[in-house]
Order: sequence, then structure tokens, then C-alpha cells
Amino acid sequence: MSETLVRTTVNGRPVEARIPNRMLLVEFLRDRLGLTGTKVSCGMQVCGACTVFVDERPVSSCGVLACDIDGADVVTVEGLATDDGLTPVQQAFVDCSALQCGFCTPGFVMMCTALLRKTPNPTEEQVAHHLEGNLCRCTGYEPIVEAVMHAAESMSSAESGTRHD
Amino acid sequence: MADFELRRPTSVAEAVEHLAEGGLPYCGGTELIPVMQLGLMAPDILVDLKRIEPLGGIREDAAEIVLGARVTHDETAASPLVRRHARVLAEATSRLGNARVRATGTLAGNICFAEPRSDVLTALLALEARVDLRSATDSRTVDVADFVEGPFATVRQEEELLEAIRIPVRASRSSYIRFQPGEYPTVTVAAVQGDGGCRVVVGAVGEIPGVFTFPSAEDVDAAEIAAQVDVTEDLGGREDYKRHVTEVFVRRAMAQLAEGSAA
Repeated sequence: MSETLVRTTVNGRPVEARIPNRMLLVEFLRDRLGLTGTKVSCGMQVCGACTVFVDERPVSSCGVLACDIDGADVVTVEGLATDDGLTPVQQAFVDCSALQCGFCTPGFVMMCTALLRKTPNPTEEQVAHHLEGNLCRCTGYEPIVEAVMHAAESMSSAESGTRHD
Repeated sequence: MADFELRRPTSVAEAVEHLAEGGLPYCGGTELIPVMQLGLMAPDILVDLKRIEPLGGIREDAAEIVLGARVTHDETAASPLVRRHARVLAEATSRLGNARVRATGTLAGNICFAEPRSDVLTALLALEARVDLRSATDSRTVDVADFVEGPFATVRQEEELLEAIRIPVRASRSSYIRFQPGEYPTVTVAAVQGDGGCRVVVGAVGEIPGVFTFPSAEDVDAAEIAAQVDVTEDLGGREDYKRHVTEVFVRRAMAQLAEGSAA
């Protein structure tokens, strides 16, 4: 079996490993590193449950070779929260009850985080367009859009130094 | 997925040597990796293009926009050059697939895969784009219209690398619309009105996008296009339905083109 030596950073920690060429990124994250917050659902890059960041770009880890993270900076859902607590997006998902079973939630949180980095104050249409590739089978889309708007608001309030309740 | 050897060249010269040895080029992998997972392709050697600097970037060169093989859909959609001179392509690349596919997938990979419902292909045909192909021994430039032969089939030889996509910069008005109630678009329409006439391209309804040319935008006959376009019945709909949505969306595209500003 062909392997490639990969040096990468996952959630801020350096990782060095010999990875089989045919191993998918999601398999490496879940099975080798134990980062099971990243979910496998469709396996076809359609549903978004396996979304992680590779060099700040959201990717479907079910459709990326693990070898491709050589030299890259990878962030999974486990890498978002800090010792100070949840991120504004994570907190907004809690506050808006933007989940039911929770299986799709890590992927949604990652995609919403990516959106707000590029577009800090999106319209609801922009949120819906950005989330077209994320599926929630509990059909909880409305609270998810609400959570993104809420997170955007709390982030811009924090930015401008005003208190937001 | 079957085992394969991974090569990661840093120059085009090195890459085409690997292709000559039977390697298969890949970059974003958004089409290739699923196909390999399904076992539909099992290349012995993958040639990763991501470390080849000259294949990145979008530039203007002698009245053409040149997009390197590594350029992603997101980069294209955000490019001021593309937005100014090839707006149908900016529109297509900002809407296709999903946000993750747009962040990693490349235009070059998209047209080499030649998926019949490709938004990129519809837009590039409307813009009369060409592609640069290079092998270890030769290079050639081919019209996109001649490059794609049919569904999942192109004239690219196995030892050839699609190095760049070239789009002529011309004064034109354009529009791009698509209808996608499911996972793939049911119909995509690109219309470009330039000095030489009006080109209307209808994609996704058949095995390959249909190109229709008229003396001017006023002459575009949506009913005629709908009657003539190649249609394949599939989960996107029956033949009569697909012809109907084609006519509707060609009319809408032309209305948008008439209303829109020059670009």
C-alpha cells in the first residue's frame, strides 16, 4: 500500500504521520486522531456533515485525500471553542435551538463560521445560498438561518464594543 | 478506493513527464475522488497540480483573460477581471455545486471531467473560450466547443495537461440563469450579445450543451431553441418538460440580457 509522509497542523497541534494515499481526510481525522465531531453521512460532498477547514477554506473531508493536508492548517469543529468558551456561532446555535438530533450540526457550524469570516453581515438570502450544500434531515433550517443572523449581530456588537443582550 | 501512487510536481515540465508515464492530473478532486471511491476509475498514478505555482492565478494577456489550471470556482467568481469581462462565468462559478465545491474545485478539472450538466461548460461555450493543452512533446490550443466531445469525453490525450483556459475580452452584454430544484441543475442558460451576434448556450438538459447563434439578441427564438436542443430524459424530467423549461429560461435569460448593463 502506497503511503505519503504528511506534516500538518490539526486544531493548532503539529501532526506528523505516514498516511495511506487512498485514505480520506475524514477517515484520518476520525479514525487516527479520534476527532469524531466531524461526521460522515452522504460520502459524496453533498450534505456538509463532514465539513472542516483546510487553510481556512471549508472542504468536504469525505471527498479530500488525507495526503492533501500536507503542509496545511486543518481546523475541525473541536478546534473552534477556546478556554474562554464557545464561539459566537456555536453560542447562537444553542441560543436559537438551531438543532434537533445534532448530527448535521458540526458541519453547519463550520459552514456558518466560514460564511461569517468572509461576509460578516450577510442577508438571509446569502445565508441560505451559502448553506445550500448542507442538509438537515430534522428540517431545522429556519432556526439555523436565525442563528447565523444572531451570531453576525453579536459579533458586530462585540466588534464595535457595545453590549448586546 | 484502489491504491495509487501520488506524485506532487512543482513545475509544469515535471508534471507532463508524470503524465507521459501514465499519471492522471488532479487538483481539487471534487469530481475525481468520488469517481475513484465508486470504483469507476482506478488510476495507478495521481499527479497533484496544487504545488505548481504557474498554474495559479487569473491574468489578462493580449485581449484574453487567462485562468490557470489551479484556479478555483471561488477565485473566478471573485475576480474583478472576470466580473468585468466575462460576467456569465462569474455568475456560473458563484452558483454551481455548493460552497465547499466552489472553494476547492477548479474550472480546468470541471471541463476535463465534462459532466453534461456543468455550469462552467455552459458559460465557457457562450464566451467562446479556448484551452491550452501541453504534453512533454507538444502543445496546442483548442476551442472549448471542440474540446468537449460528449458526456464525460474530451479530446484531451492522457499525456496532456490542461494548462490554462483563455477567454477573449470583448464588449458584450450577457446573462446567466439556471434552474436547480434538486442536486443538479435542470437547465442552465448563458446568453452573450457581442459585435458578432448573439450566442445562446443551453446546458444540463442533454448530453452536451447546445450552442445557438443569432444575428442579434432581438432575433433569438426561444421556441426554436427549445425545439432543437438535444434533450435526455432523466430524473430532471421528461423530454416535453425539459423543452418547456428550456423555452421559459431562454426567454428569461434574454429579458435579463436586455435589462442588464453591458459586461
